[in-house]
Amino acid sequence: MVDVVIGSCILVPIISGMLCFITGNQRIRAGIIVTTGILLTISSLMLFHTIQGPYLYTPDTLFGMNINSLISFADFALLFIILGIAFKRGNPLVILLTLLQIVPLAYFELKMAPHAEVTPAFYIDSLAIIMNLIISIIGSLICIFAIRYMEEYEHHLHLKKSRQPKFFFFLVMFLGAMNGLVFSNNLLWLYFFWEVTTFCSFMLIGHDKTEIAIRNATKALWMNMLGGVAFVAAIIFIYHNTQSTEYLSLQALIKHGPELMAALMLPLALLCFAGFTKAAQMPFQSWLCGAMVAPTPVSALLHSSTMVKAGVYLIVRMAPGYQGTFLSTMVATFGAFTFLTASALAVNMSNGKKILAYSTIANLGLIIACAGINTPAAIIAAVLLIIFHAISKGLLFLCVGTIEHAIGSRDIEDMRGLYNTMPAVSRITIIGILTMMLPPFGALMSKWMAIEAAATIPWVVVMVALGSGLTVLFWARWAGIFVSGPHLKVFESEGNEGFFAPFVTMFKGFYAKSKWKDPASIKVPLVTLAVAAIVLSLGVPWLYTSLVDPVLASYKPGLFIEPFKTNPMGLTSGAGAFYVLPVFLVSIIAYLAAVVAAKTKDHKVISAPYMCGEQYPDITQPKFRSHLNNWKDYVPANIYLQDIIGESKISYWINIVALIILIVLFGEVIR
Amino acid sequence: MNMVEIIAVLAALFLAPIIGGLVAGLDRRVTARLQGRYGPPILQPFYDVLKLFGKEKMIVNYWQIVCAYMYLAANILTVILLALQSDLLLIFFVLAVGGVFLVIGALAAESPYSQIGAQRELIQMLTYEPLLILVFVGIYLETGSFKISEIVANYHQPLLISLPLLFVVMGYAFIIKLKKSPFDIATSHHAHQEIVKGVLTEYSGPYLALIELSHWYETVFLLGLCALFWHTNYLWMAVLVVATYFGEVLVDNVCARLTWRWMLPHAWAGGLIMSFANYFWIFVKIK
Repeated sequence: MVDVVIGSCILVPIISGMLCFITGNQRIRAGIIVTTGILLTISSLMLFHTIQGPYLYTPDTLFGMNINSLISFADFALLFIILGIAFKRGNPLVILLTLLQIVPLAYFELKMAPHAEVTPAFYIDSLAIIMNLIISIIGSLICIFAIRYMEEYEHHLHLKKSRQPKFFFFLVMFLGAMNGLVFSNNLLWLYFFWEVTTFCSFMLIGHDKTEIAIRNATKALWMNMLGGVAFVAAIIFIYHNTQSTEYLSLQALIKHGPELMAALMLPLALLCFAGFTKAAQMPFQSWLCGAMVAPTPVSALLHSSTMVKAGVYLIVRMAPGYQGTFLSTMVATFGAFTFLTASALAVNMSNGKKILAYSTIANLGLIIACAGINTPAAIIAAVLLIIFHAISKGLLFLCVGTIEHAIGSRDIEDMRGLYNTMPAVSRITIIGILTMMLPPFGALMSKWMAIEAAATIPWVVVMVALGSGLTVLFWARWAGIFVSGPHLKVFESEGNEGFFAPFVTMFKGFYAKSKWKDPASIKVPLVTLAVAAIVLSLGVPWLYTSLVDPVLASYKPGLFIEPFKTNPMGLTSGAGAFYVLPVFLVSIIAYLAAVVAAKTKDHKVISAPYMCGEQYPDITQPKFRSHLNNWKDYVPANIYLQDIIGESKISYWINIVALIILIVLFGEVIR
Repeated sequence: MNMVEIIAVLAALFLAPIIGGLVAGLDRRVTARLQGRYGPPILQPFYDVLKLFGKEKMIVNYWQIVCAYMYLAANILTVILLALQSDLLLIFFVLAVGGVFLVIGALAAESPYSQIGAQRELIQMLTYEPLLILVFVGIYLETGSFKISEIVANYHQPLLISLPLLFVVMGYAFIIKLKKSPFDIATSHHAHQEIVKGVLTEYSGPYLALIELSHWYETVFLLGLCALFWHTNYLWMAVLVVATYFGEVLVDNVCARLTWRWMLPHAWAGGLIMSFANYFWIFVKIK
């Protein structure tokens, strides 16, 4: 039974993707996508419920065909498709990188180790289940969001022929490939799914077929192909250095004995490098920033639950394999450096999607830094950050997409006072922002763990400290922008008085009157993710004992020490404590007090903002008296620090420093 | 919760604003003397706040109310967590909640003055937050814990002796948090160098009173942090706290306000160098 569920997690999205491709009818396609989402959610919950401890599974045949050969065949088919595209586009770099994978892979599969059998093919433990839940639930919600979004999107474009079948083919198939990736234990299979995600993201980024879309898609392709080349090299070096196919099993690779450390060091470093490219770490950040030319659901999917998470998943997964080595320290340094620099770049962005993109890169850097710090507490921090980042970032991308459709801009300066016109979406966006940056929410809790774990490596903790200062800056300002604006009478709260009125207002907010008009396929994902971000943060003790803690059991069997203890209020560690519930309760009390204060009868005085007495008579309009008695619009703007840390100014230097870190990393490993 | 903890929470709730208000009164008096004036009565801040509470409730945007209350709640919570001898990093994060809501409140009002104030407040937060984290990490490296209770129980010499440079780094953060020159960039007590009232421009009446009250809690929290550096002896603890605060007032009166363009690089560079020097010293000592 479990085997069937595992298979369906991978195959259902692939088959539904094909069905989406075939069908031309929008309704049927929507039905297929929703059904797939429900099926995936159910099967991931079933796996979570039934699998206790690692579950090993090696399927032999699929529809009567040998899977190993099938995957080898598909591998080459995929690579040749990419080669074909590269020839068609006349891109020598991609041709070279593809050939650098085809030739060694052919040599390996035909000459070096033909028909390598690696068992178990699938290894499903807590980490895989966490990833599976994230991919299946958040990924499905994003796909459901995409149904209506793409409909409106194409409506704006006035296309003759809908491109949606192809779009949903890749979007839905992506989930299957990701599930396969996190289940795989056979490195050859993992590599196959790895390449499928690269290819899917390439097709999705280039979806619009504009010049910039094609250029950015190609960039994403070659950067990720670089990781693919490293992956193939890692496979070959593993075999070459150990002369056995045993270590092509990810679990064997991680749990190798100390005598093999020297032999496996280079392959581990190469696999980490593949993870860096996929997770868009510096200096490969530009592909993920470029990826935002694609429709918003693509960004949401790439940034939250799939693609980049594959990169960090692999690095976190392999952490025990390189624990206590120079590589581990360098991985921590590299991750922390990316966290700091990406946060700095996010500060000088006014494009909402770009802020999200850099913040994603920063958070992935922090996850990688945690993997490099490589203590049990740090691994816990990494896993929690993967979970909470996926939820909040997925939510924020969907919010920005919804806002962009409504106001036609993704610039945060254009979102000033959006709370007055789109209260529901704004409120959810603010929740998304607060869950990324403030206690007691999970993302910050993982940051707490990360800093406590990083404290022993001074330069890492310094970079994390500076980086988190920068993150607060760009998040707080964005949240503030939403509520900025004059007081509008239209939205004044309804006159429901009485004892329960404050509670009603608490849930509805101050402006109860305006209705949220978006369709259900947009509402449901937004609300679900917002609620999940809050509830899971409160349920951190449960989350920790049932999901995250078991990850450690496989981290270092035998050397198992529990870094954190749970209690209903939060988590405590040997060196600290993080109380979730009290902080949350105090915040609720303060919010209630504010609502009560705002509801009292005497509270009717609304004044104009202070403009030295030169304010326009109508206080809803931000104007002031200028020279010659003209009324001038008053335009506020944020400080973006562009003259100090402008993207164009410092990106070059960031890339150089990142390259130096990588060179040092490989230099030491090869030596 | 045991009896001691309940008393600690109650003291934090009710005693802290009284101490904070008195400190504010003394501050004004000392400042006046430094400037050759006589100065207001020590209880003047209490009169001011009581008067503000009685004024008309006036706002530009409803979010200001939420933000004022959240700012107060966060600051009260930091003092309570300090009194309960909780995790330093957790306290730091709760402190950030207050800062964030102060900024959101200022951004909510569409006035150029409060908008500029908010932007400046953000940069000030950006300046002091990493410095405070570095100080707390230094305390962890020296004592092996982030929990104040364990530091007090297991570490038996004044922290100031092993972390003198980090104490100076914390001084930077104090200047910003206490809104003292040269880093009173977001809002200043000195009228001559202020554009309207910066981040607080749009707050008035009872809500300004709430913010003032929060600031008293904040002051007590900062003095508590300072006290942690000499936790072994109450007399020396008192001396250290008084000397530090007097030092801050002195700096406030001999400096003019600087721009954030000066503050950010200098505070970071100075803070980083001193932190690293101090870390290095700790490592050498351990070895």
